[in-house]
Amino acid sequence: MRMRTFALATIAAFAAANLAVPALARDTVTFGYQLPLTGDTAQYGQDFRKAAEIALEEFNKGDKPFTVSIVFEDSRSDAKEGVNIARKFVDDRRIVGVLGDFTSTVSMAAAQVYKNEGMPQLSQTASHPDYTKISEWQFRNIATQAQESPFNAAWMAGSGIKTVAVIAEQTDWGQSVVNTFAAAAREKGLNIIFQENFNRGLKDFRSVISKIQRANPDAIYTGFFYEDGAQFLKQVHQMGIRTPVYSTSAAYSPKLLELAGEAANGLRLTSNFLPNSPDPDVRHFVEEWKARSNGAEPGQFPAQAYDAVRIMIAAAERAHPDVTRRSLRDELAKTTDFPGVTGKTTFDADREPQKVLAKVEVTGGQFVPAGE
Amino acid sequence: MSGFDARMRPLAVRAGLALLLFAVLPAVLAGFDRSYYYQVANLALIFVLLAASLQLVTGVAGLLHLGHAAFYGVGAYAAALLSTELGLGFTVTLPLAGLIAAVIALLVALPTMRLVSIYFAVATLAIGQMLYLVMLNWVGLTKGPNGIVLTRGLELFGFDLSGRLATYYTVAGVVALSLVALGRLSHSYYGNALRSIREDDQCADAMGVRTARLKMEVFTLSAFFAGVAGALWAHMTGYISPGDFDFGESILILAMIVVGGLGSLPGAAIGALVLILLPEVLRDLGDFRNIMVGLVMFGCILFLPKGLMGEVSALRLARQQFGAAWRRTGNGVGIGWR
Repeated sequence: MRMRTFALATIAAFAAANLAVPALARDTVTFGYQLPLTGDTAQYGQDFRKAAEIALEEFNKGDKPFTVSIVFEDSRSDAKEGVNIARKFVDDRRIVGVLGDFTSTVSMAAAQVYKNEGMPQLSQTASHPDYTKISEWQFRNIATQAQESPFNAAWMAGSGIKTVAVIAEQTDWGQSVVNTFAAAAREKGLNIIFQENFNRGLKDFRSVISKIQRANPDAIYTGFFYEDGAQFLKQVHQMGIRTPVYSTSAAYSPKLLELAGEAANGLRLTSNFLPNSPDPDVRHFVEEWKARSNGAEPGQFPAQAYDAVRIMIAAAERAHPDVTRRSLRDELAKTTDFPGVTGKTTFDADREPQKVLAKVEVTGGQFVPAGE
Repeated sequence: MSGFDARMRPLAVRAGLALLLFAVLPAVLAGFDRSYYYQVANLALIFVLLAASLQLVTGVAGLLHLGHAAFYGVGAYAAALLSTELGLGFTVTLPLAGLIAAVIALLVALPTMRLVSIYFAVATLAIGQMLYLVMLNWVGLTKGPNGIVLTRGLELFGFDLSGRLATYYTVAGVVALSLVALGRLSHSYYGNALRSIREDDQCADAMGVRTARLKMEVFTLSAFFAGVAGALWAHMTGYISPGDFDFGESILILAMIVVGGLGSLPGAAIGALVLILLPEVLRDLGDFRNIMVGLVMFGCILFLPKGLMGEVSALRLARQQFGAAWRRTGNGVGIGWR
């Protein structure tokens, strides 16, 4: 008797589930995400995946006419693999848009495929000046140095600084830091008295630092990510130099504070993401992130990835029900004032994001908004 | 009848291989019609050429070369710069890329070729790093870390070859021709002289083999083919940057020939196929795929220390199936192409 009840209940449950399916059946929009999940830059790719998963979960929980899924592929920040993945994505007719890659070089190698096959590509970090010039299919969600450099130069000039030493990593991005800052400095009347590039992963900055010391600038402008940044700041601190150091949003990561410790105090940099901002959107993202990362705070890059995914989804929502690669691209291009955790994003005619930048200073081991 | 067989068999085997490369594989690729498969096939072929060219130096001549990827890079940069700055087409840039890589190899070989064993290895390591740093830091010439976007793809005397099948045929054709040349070099009197250097260079010297000169020649020849591979990669991808040619790439190529079998040309090809195809096949394993690739390599070295196809079996194959001039001649038995 009990068995029969059980069987009936099961059948009823199945029937209910089957009946419920048509009501729940929403079509799925699929994106590809190419990013380094292993290799030298895996820490960034892993963060991007985490940020993307938060964005996905939020959207799919909501009452929307379609669901979104993302196919993640590991590029190891290797151009060979990046191009293979690009081919894989364009073959997959379900995929209507691609996010990534992390480095500009891999993004640009893959972009050649997306250009030829017509696939919208939105990178959260590719900052190479030529990336968006490849074709109408390339977008990015990162403030380029063309925007940050004049902002920082004005900040320095406003603080009474006259002479600057510039150091930057020897990458495409570091080159753009140096070139755009040199132009901006000229305009603002700053004098660059020393300039040098260093190779990523340099352990000993002392020779560079002593050269800077000899040049005796009013401030040091730096283009580095948090790993090199922490090394540099620690060694500057050890050598007892108190010259103010300025940097870009690329150094904006809680890991910088962790690695550099008190040597990070006094560092001034730009950012468009403040994890302790009262904005409800930001607080929601930071809470979700902390829950998945043992309480660690997200940095600037994961926030850009989170926004990139949501910008893509928003474009798909506007294009729905006819979401194709072409319609998605056109809707992406129309993105105006997208309210993200990295501020409002608008793509201009060259598919460059226009971001609002904020001044930040490290005080007492924390990033805090800097006063004038 | 057996004489006929001995003469016909090499022809049949070669025809079979050509058929596989130029008819069966493209037919399969066209059947699937996935550009991803074309891409992986082309990439695998380029690395077959890279492994085969390194095989001549490290496998046959026994010189541990740790900077092969730099010559691959020189070829790629030569092709990219000739194409973007001078507007030359692939037909011209391909041989020029090989020649420029060969000339640079010859220049660096002049002072280093008298070095032996580990000293030679460290010298090639330094050469590789120097060339890599030149690509990275000579911004005026190479555009430095910004890399180069190529505006012209594959073509032959003005005919556009950038379609999927055309690209495959171009890459396969260039690689096949290069392999024939490399096969001739390694299974000939020339190859035997190189093997004598590997086994005992002083003894070879005493026998009248001009070791320093031969080493220089083989280093230059291998750089030529690496340069050709670089030109293929540059035109096929459309964008190159120094990161594609760093030390890790040299080690990858070295791993291919070790896994495949040192001194064995088919082994080099098999090793390249394994190390390019395996990571792609294992994509679904996610984070574990690198561990799996590592395990396969480790297993190969542990259980097949001579490689997937060792030198002895490779030589037997060349002799019996390709009739590599081991055939009976009028006055005795030959031991390779003259």
